[in-house]
Amino acid sequence: MIRLLAVAVALLFVTSLLTGAAGLGVPDPLILWQIRLPRAALAALVGGALGLSGAVLQGALRNPLADPGLLGIGGCAALGAVVAFYWGLSAVFAPALPLAGLAGAALGSAFLLGFAGRAASGPSLILAGVAVSALAAALLALALTLAPNPFALAEITFWLMGGLEDRTLTHLLLAAGPIVLGCGVLLRLGRGLDGLALGEAVAASLGVPVARTLRVAAAGVALAVGAGAAVAGGIGFVGLVVPHLLRPVVGQRPSALLAPSLLGGAALLLAADLLARVAPLLLPLQQEPRLGVLTALLGAPFLVRIARRVAPGGAG
Amino acid sequence: MIRVVGAAIVLVALAAYPAAAARVVSLNLCADDFLLLLAPEQAVAVSVLAADPSLSVVAAAARHVAAVRADSEAVLALHPDLVLAGPYGAQTTLALLERRGLRVERLGLPQDFAAIRAETRRVAALLGVPARGEALLADMQARLEAARQPRTQRAVFLEARGYVAGPGSLADSVLRAAGFADAGQAGRPGLEALVAHPPDLLVTASAPDFPSMATDLLAHPALTALPRQTVAPALLACGGPWTARAVSTLAP
Repeated sequence: MIRLLAVAVALLFVTSLLTGAAGLGVPDPLILWQIRLPRAALAALVGGALGLSGAVLQGALRNPLADPGLLGIGGCAALGAVVAFYWGLSAVFAPALPLAGLAGAALGSAFLLGFAGRAASGPSLILAGVAVSALAAALLALALTLAPNPFALAEITFWLMGGLEDRTLTHLLLAAGPIVLGCGVLLRLGRGLDGLALGEAVAASLGVPVARTLRVAAAGVALAVGAGAAVAGGIGFVGLVVPHLLRPVVGQRPSALLAPSLLGGAALLLAADLLARVAPLLLPLQQEPRLGVLTALLGAPFLVRIARRVAPGGAG
Repeated sequence: MIRVVGAAIVLVALAAYPAAAARVVSLNLCADDFLLLLAPEQAVAVSVLAADPSLSVVAAAARHVAAVRADSEAVLALHPDLVLAGPYGAQTTLALLERRGLRVERLGLPQDFAAIRAETRRVAALLGVPARGEALLADMQARLEAARQPRTQRAVFLEARGYVAGPGSLADSVLRAAGFADAGQAGRPGLEALVAHPPDLLVTASAPDFPSMATDLLAHPALTALPRQTVAPALLACGGPWTARAVSTLAP
């Protein structure tokens, strides 16, 4: 399965480099290196981070609805990045952008895992996530309104809808480090997550360091999602959808889900970004649809399906 | 009694000069430009954007005038004879001001030099200073004639968020007045298309003073190889006689 997904990611990545408004095939080196490479690489990195974070959160929280976007971690990261960018911090010190995204994501994930740690039930955790999301979106709009930019409204809209078009190699370099580090941390959590799947008490009796596992999960998700959201804006539902699509194939064990979710997330976001790029070539569109809009169109019906299944009286 | 007599004298004075408004409040950036150029002595308050040099052509003058938001209470407290506004924003505020008997004039958004002439004459007449309007237009005409020189080069005006100004827009009027052959098609072609089919000249507004992702795009490394000319953004934020200065910038 992992080999199949890796091949899919590689194929989509290459297709991504060969597809665009300038036509199909190998483009001008300037287009290849400065426009398509940062975009394709960021799609793979951000998608992989979101997919893996979704799998880790669903395992750590024992909640099938957990997703960095749905729980507001992505929103907190976007808020941090907006403050750094629009208030001029990143103009003075470029790494302030991913660092502020990280800080926002860390606050969001620490709050949620702390909340979950006090034995919160599944639905109440999701409600807390909805509250964090709403608060992050409101603070983001407030930060932009207070920033010295008279076109704040248009900028808010674009941030919240997420996207990867016209990113530069600088964006890629800024985000890649924290994302790779975060994913590395998360991939090593398999055993702890398998223990947690049996409940915290059983996990502790099996020798799983429960509190430490949750802390590491929070830090890893913050690293992976925070830096990604800082350059891509609000891209939701990838972390929700990918583990659900893969579970019937790789099984229920959280540790078996981690690497496939990383690759699956990368493949999904590469495919969605490819779709956004191809849409104006096939349809009479003035511009590309936003990437965050496509993932939401894909993910929202999925969420309804899962919600029906986990609801009382449902099949699961 | 004294107040009544005073009010009567003011009314008579106003009736004697029906077009002249002694106290004018502007709630719109484009109206700010016109008001402070044509009749700064009549300006009681202008919009908060007027003092921003990246948006307004009268930023220096605006620092000496009070700033007001489109807030009905704040405007009423200024007791204006005339309120200048834009065509779209703050419609509920404007309706309230009109119900309270204030005279509200909505300015248009001229997108070519013929419309700029008509709008300048209309606003100058509203403010009772037609001669100043003609003086601004004479300067504009001189600049346009000096810059007029047919060229075969293709210029593209790239705006914030990667939009290209197309026919019918102010930016397109500026490119045509500067003599460029083809000013590109309206829309959002994307960086790739621009790099794959590069224009002879890329025209952009210079970077604003505030951080903006929308204009960060214009500094994308893939575009640095294209010949580029920047124009002060305030000259194109609103169409007016000052827009001819953008044409002068592009003259060879």
